[in-house]
Amino acid sequence: MAYVLAEFKDDQALFAAARRLRALGHARLDAHSPYPLHGADEALGLSKSKVPLIALVGGVAGASGGYLMQWWMNGVDYVLNVGNRPPHSPPANIPVTFECGVLLASLCIVLGLFALCGFPRTYHPTFELEAFRTASVDALWLSAEVKPEESAAVVKELQGLGALQVSAVEEAAR
Amino acid sequence: MAAHAAELERLEGPPVLVGRPSDRQLTEDLFQPVWARTRKGWLALLTVCAALTGLLFTAIGYTFAVGVGAWGNNIPVAWAFGIINFVWWIGIGHAGTLISAILLLFQQKWRTSINRFAEAMTLFAVMQAGLFPILHLGRPWFAWWLFPYPATLGVWPNFKSALMWDVFAVSTYFTVSLLFWYVGLLPDLAALRDASKSKAARVAYGIFSLGWRGSARHWRHWRIAYLLLAGLATPLVLSVHTIVSFDFAIAQVPGWHTTIFPPYFVAGAIFSGFAMVLTLIIPARKVFRLEHVITARHLENMSKVLLATGLMVAYGYLCEHFIAWYSGNKYEAFVFFNTRQRGPYAPVYWLMLFCNVLVPQIFWWGRARASVVVLWVASILVNVGMWTERFSIIVTSLHRDFLPSSWAMYRPTIVDWSIYVGTIGFFGFLFLLFLRFVPSVSASEVKELRRELEHEAHAPPHEPGPAPAHGR
Repeated sequence: MAYVLAEFKDDQALFAAARRLRALGHARLDAHSPYPLHGADEALGLSKSKVPLIALVGGVAGASGGYLMQWWMNGVDYVLNVGNRPPHSPPANIPVTFECGVLLASLCIVLGLFALCGFPRTYHPTFELEAFRTASVDALWLSAEVKPEESAAVVKELQGLGALQVSAVEEAAR
Repeated sequence: MAAHAAELERLEGPPVLVGRPSDRQLTEDLFQPVWARTRKGWLALLTVCAALTGLLFTAIGYTFAVGVGAWGNNIPVAWAFGIINFVWWIGIGHAGTLISAILLLFQQKWRTSINRFAEAMTLFAVMQAGLFPILHLGRPWFAWWLFPYPATLGVWPNFKSALMWDVFAVSTYFTVSLLFWYVGLLPDLAALRDASKSKAARVAYGIFSLGWRGSARHWRHWRIAYLLLAGLATPLVLSVHTIVSFDFAIAQVPGWHTTIFPPYFVAGAIFSGFAMVLTLIIPARKVFRLEHVITARHLENMSKVLLATGLMVAYGYLCEHFIAWYSGNKYEAFVFFNTRQRGPYAPVYWLMLFCNVLVPQIFWWGRARASVVVLWVASILVNVGMWTERFSIIVTSLHRDFLPSSWAMYRPTIVDWSIYVGTIGFFGFLFLLFLRFVPSVSASEVKELRRELEHEAHAPPHEPGPAPAHGR
């Protein structure tokens, strides 16, 4: 696959170009910016993030797992009589249950984030373009993943949409 | 328009971002400490901290070799420096999470410039805190017995013990703080990679930024992930210090056996943590010339938090003493009205009252809030005060409990002091490295803040009425 990268002067111009390309049938678009852009999801037609769901599953699994662990360890498998409290005493199990829930939810959030973003992936074809390095500093870029034979047409299209600069890059030969 | 701006300034205080530097300018300013040549002052400080770190590990090695007999602990004062410093450090750590997570949830704009600083402080403070309970075990090389692993011994830990809750709380707290800090750092690591001037830096930051490209597809997940981590970290902070206070509150010892402990400990933690943030941030913003990003507004807001939490802590003291009198429990009354005020450790108690109750009251005056010197001195005094508070709670309560026959004095030994001072050095060492290799102010968030402020400035001016609730 080839990537066409175009720099725009502001987010409105970028979103307009993104909508235009989507109308032409290019679905694999992305915006690159040093800070989150408001309105990017809608312009690029992105769906809602799955991270909250992953967090919920992690939190519920962590909390219930933590509680069951305590019930089994202190109430069933190794009954420890301290001060004649009941072997399984729910109030005493609440703190660890809560901590387990938080811990697993957080781990799931971060691992889920990595999985959804495909991290770690320290090499990406877009890094071939030296000018693209401004995307994390102060510039707004649009990237379109296209078939190599289409790239010339997309470059022309983006130039017509008022991009400051447009380049096509291909994955470096390994 | 100018009159409107002046009115807004009067209502809202100084701005959270002075001027409107361009994104490129901001990146250069904020990354300047990372790219600049090593300064002599930084190196000198690092050397001092490294020496203290050496002292810490020497003292720890000595403790390992001869056992906890090297410390001043005795029976009845079995919990002394080990637990005082644990509680003190973990309390310091809490402000970082509070600034980062709670202020993010409340959409406070003044959080943006100081959150990374505070989070790094949290991380390093929790590292120091973690050392103490492990060493205090007596046989620290069996620390892993605390975790519920399927042991050949066929035993499981006792989950009814507050010390067990502590293990889970502190280890969870450290893990979540680390994740939160790292996730927040990703965009800046990528910016460092892209702005780097040497191959080595590009490779190193390239590895740590995991391939972040500022992609909208990634920002979408990142924003919600960051927000959720903040949402989880908020109750976590409260739970950690609550659990730390349970270590004392569920005991029978007069002076510990108090229901006010959980909220009072949490308030104290935030109090000492904000003081430590101020202690660190005031010199750092001066040295790295970050006054336009960490403005007078940030310092003023932090001083207000210091005053508020200081009053909460004062209420905690008041409540303890009131209940000691009102309950009619003579042992408790003896601790609060005799031992602490007139016993052998009385100076510690009065110093605590001076530092924690009297000193913060200066912030009722606007001129004190605006004076960097006053703030810095007060923040150090508060740190001292919170340490004496923990000393007071732990040592004074233990050294004279129910039976005069079991009273004894506690004196910290040179090993105790070495470990304590050593952790301060180790903390400083880690913090200096952080200042050198990672931007201490989140560049991507400041850029976003700039956008928001510009957006607000272009909004049609409203009648100067009461200031909007957000962004204050």
